[in-house]
Amino acid sequence: MDDADPKFSELPSLLGAAEQGDLVAAGKLFDVLYSELHRMARRELAKHGTPVSLSATTLLHEAYLDMAERDSQAFPDRARFMAYASRVMRGLIIDHARNRHAIKRGGQFEITSLEANVMDHAVQPQELTQISEALDELAQIDASLSEIVDLKFFCGFSFAEIAAMRGVSERTVQRGWEQARIYLHRRLRTDLAVE
Amino acid sequence: MSTILTPEQWRLVSPYLDQALDMSERERDAWLESLRATDATIADLVQNLLDEQRALNGERFLEQGPVPVAGLNTLSNRSIGAYQLIKVIGQGGMGSVWLAQRSDGRFERHAAVKFLNTALAAGSGAERFKREGSILGRLCHPNIADLLDAGVTADGQPYLVLEYIEGLPLSEYCDQHQLDIDSRIRLFLDVLKAVAHAHANLVVHRDIKPSNVLVTIDGHVKLLDFGIAKMLADESHPGEPTLLTAEGGGALTPQFAAPEQITGGSITTATDVYGLGVLLYLLLTGRHPAGPLSRSTAELVRSIVETEPSRPSSAIALSAADSNAENRSSTADKLRRKLRGDLDTIIGKALKKEPGERYASVQALADDLQRYLSSEPISARPDTFHYRAGKFVRRNRTAVSLTALAVLAILFGTAATLLQARSARRQRDAALRERDHANRIADFMTNMFKISDPSETVGRGVTAREILDKASTEIEQGLADDPMLQAQMMQTMGTAYLNLGFYERSHFLLERAISISKSAGGPENQVTLSCMNDFAGLLTQEGKYADAEKLQRETLEVQRRVLGPEHLDTLITMGDLSGTIALRGDRLHEAEKLGREVLEKERRVLGPENRHTLIAMDSLAAILGTEGKLSESEQLGAETIELERRVFGPDHLLVLNTMGNQADTLYLMGKYPEAQRILQQTLDIQLRVLGPDHPETARSIYNLACVAARQGKRDEVFSLLDRSIDHLSPRTVPKIEGDPAFKPLEGFPRFSALVERAKRRHPVQGAMCPL
Repeated sequence: MDDADPKFSELPSLLGAAEQGDLVAAGKLFDVLYSELHRMARRELAKHGTPVSLSATTLLHEAYLDMAERDSQAFPDRARFMAYASRVMRGLIIDHARNRHAIKRGGQFEITSLEANVMDHAVQPQELTQISEALDELAQIDASLSEIVDLKFFCGFSFAEIAAMRGVSERTVQRGWEQARIYLHRRLRTDLAVE
Repeated sequence: MSTILTPEQWRLVSPYLDQALDMSERERDAWLESLRATDATIADLVQNLLDEQRALNGERFLEQGPVPVAGLNTLSNRSIGAYQLIKVIGQGGMGSVWLAQRSDGRFERHAAVKFLNTALAAGSGAERFKREGSILGRLCHPNIADLLDAGVTADGQPYLVLEYIEGLPLSEYCDQHQLDIDSRIRLFLDVLKAVAHAHANLVVHRDIKPSNVLVTIDGHVKLLDFGIAKMLADESHPGEPTLLTAEGGGALTPQFAAPEQITGGSITTATDVYGLGVLLYLLLTGRHPAGPLSRSTAELVRSIVETEPSRPSSAIALSAADSNAENRSSTADKLRRKLRGDLDTIIGKALKKEPGERYASVQALADDLQRYLSSEPISARPDTFHYRAGKFVRRNRTAVSLTALAVLAILFGTAATLLQARSARRQRDAALRERDHANRIADFMTNMFKISDPSETVGRGVTAREILDKASTEIEQGLADDPMLQAQMMQTMGTAYLNLGFYERSHFLLERAISISKSAGGPENQVTLSCMNDFAGLLTQEGKYADAEKLQRETLEVQRRVLGPEHLDTLITMGDLSGTIALRGDRLHEAEKLGREVLEKERRVLGPENRHTLIAMDSLAAILGTEGKLSESEQLGAETIELERRVFGPDHLLVLNTMGNQADTLYLMGKYPEAQRILQQTLDIQLRVLGPDHPETARSIYNLACVAARQGKRDEVFSLLDRSIDHLSPRTVPKIEGDPAFKPLEGFPRFSALVERAKRRHPVQGAMCPL
């Protein structure tokens, strides 16, 4: 993918098909969003010329605005965009974490500028991958739960923001979050215990 | 043992888990128990997953994002506006703080640059942030740290430039200097001045907490971070943002949040009044009103929204009492006495859950504290006022009233009912033996009746007390060969003594009743259980609330299991328990919930005009009053009085009790003339029915004294206290001294003499003065 405008006109039909369960369309949708977010991140990097701290939330908000500006039909509403894009963001973050881990310096861009000692506290890429796999599994069982984890854990949205997006109460989101954590914890820790 | 759930298992358990996650621990336990009865597999699975949740909370699973928030150390030497960053001086939930210096050399002085851990939507968000910043920049007060600048860096990071303050957080400063309570209050008054100034400029702080209140080396109070929480609020959210929103759902513990900040209610100056209440509580007691803070955020949130904090004077006794006291140049005991009364009341009013019930302004809070310092009467009314303690009608199956005739009727009634039931049951096999028993009981009762024989009484009417005294001395031998009957008669007499206010005799008889029925019928026998509840009622009456609650919970658990959840005895214990919890005062929400449950069940099971249903109404009204839900309490009280008068007639004990409660509510509402009227009506009936020496009568007179005190009628107060003080129930006595109504009388020798007199009559024992 390069910096050329992705074909936003395709998005509505991709979205429709993906929601019908079309895996190919879902994959394409993912790619479009991924390249768009990646492009945005690089654009921010270029603007500042130095490693810069970007928050995933900001990136998503800006990507949406950007997209809506260029093609108002691209995504029917912000909430659905966020739901999809947060899943994509997860991939971006994990890829990024892997790169950063591999290269230490000189990854293409920095989502945040990390100090070595701060690194220790970050979740390790290996665990992120496991979380991601378990999340995909959870999405098959209850997509709304896995979405909460994408929005909250990976993209940094607050409960209130997620609640507002979905038109439900914060409590409901919090309970969903707890359920998802329990699911993931069981999945991950049991795996570890078995290994 | 944890195994991976199959998708099917997960789908099955998920709705239950969702339900469980919405409950408090206690609710959850009960719920799980009942679920286990219908579906043990699901219940075990839910339990197992909840245990998992505990474990993952312990390891803070997923609590930190995959990438840490901006590592700002890279910012060193960068310039922010006209300021050059020097070094990080603080890092907290909201962001990091840098020491900075003006880079254009215009001022020498240092500044603090605070980066906020929040991304703002580009464009309007940043504009608004700057606009809000300029409003805050106009706040100019010696106790408020100046906001020099606010803006957003090129990469969207909002920041504030603040006056750099070198100092200690208020509570640390106070402890370090071992400031006593009055000095702490004086320092706190400076905080209030600052907040009042901001409020006058329409700025609400929204995040008052110890770390935002510094005291400089020369002892000046400086408030930081005014209105910042609001600057972070995102306009795109409908309604007011909650603190959790403002913090981006971050790791902040909402320790200092007001209930409305958690529930998303509107944020007003009353929000700051609450925050100030928390701060004052901490400052004076060394403890947080929500209790120990080692709990999970969810529990903390729940407690802020639902649980009434312990009174400051009780809180200081809970732990580290001595070091807390030493830091306040006092002893634990002195400190408790110092806080009891007005300071309890003032802080309680600031910490009301309902914003409308707090002080109407920061100034009003300051005024009351000022009054306290100069020993003038404060404006806030105590919400727990001594006669709360008598409000809950203990119930028992046999409605023991207080006239001699009624006592006799009941004793006979009990005996007769028992005999009938038994002869029906055992007619065939034990008819002979029963007849023998029947004769014995008849003899026993006749013997008791002899007391009203003119030859045995000297020219006056027999009293209930006399009948009871005679009966209770004879019952040990009289019915020794029928222990269950003996136990029940003892129970009846024990509760009659209790109602008459003779606690010692009551104690003796109820204890005997329990032990006899335990050995004859077993520990889960219905009679044993109901005796246990009556004994708990006595403990409540003696002020031993914790023991009472424990006993009632034990009893209730067995009754639910053995008799069923809607059995009258079970409901009676539940109702009594709700009263005990309310009397303890720290879990009023729980009391209310229980009270409502009892009322709902009794209305359904017994009907709306049943005696027990009416008692449940009376209790609920009293609980609501204790909670400070005064208008709801007043309404329910009025409704109850009307119904009770219709059902029982105007002189009935229950009517009197509800009237007393209603007077209490009116008192708390400040409707003194109405309170006085209803107390006077109650007293007139009590004098007629109970006589002048009965504790209930004394209570009404004492309460009239409180009303008179509030109306400034000093002579009337003395004469009313003089009339009542010798007959008050022991649990009222320790409260006389701390009753805020009598604050203006302190120092009057007449008052001290009255207090001494009461104390001599009922020396305070450890367990008798509940927290």
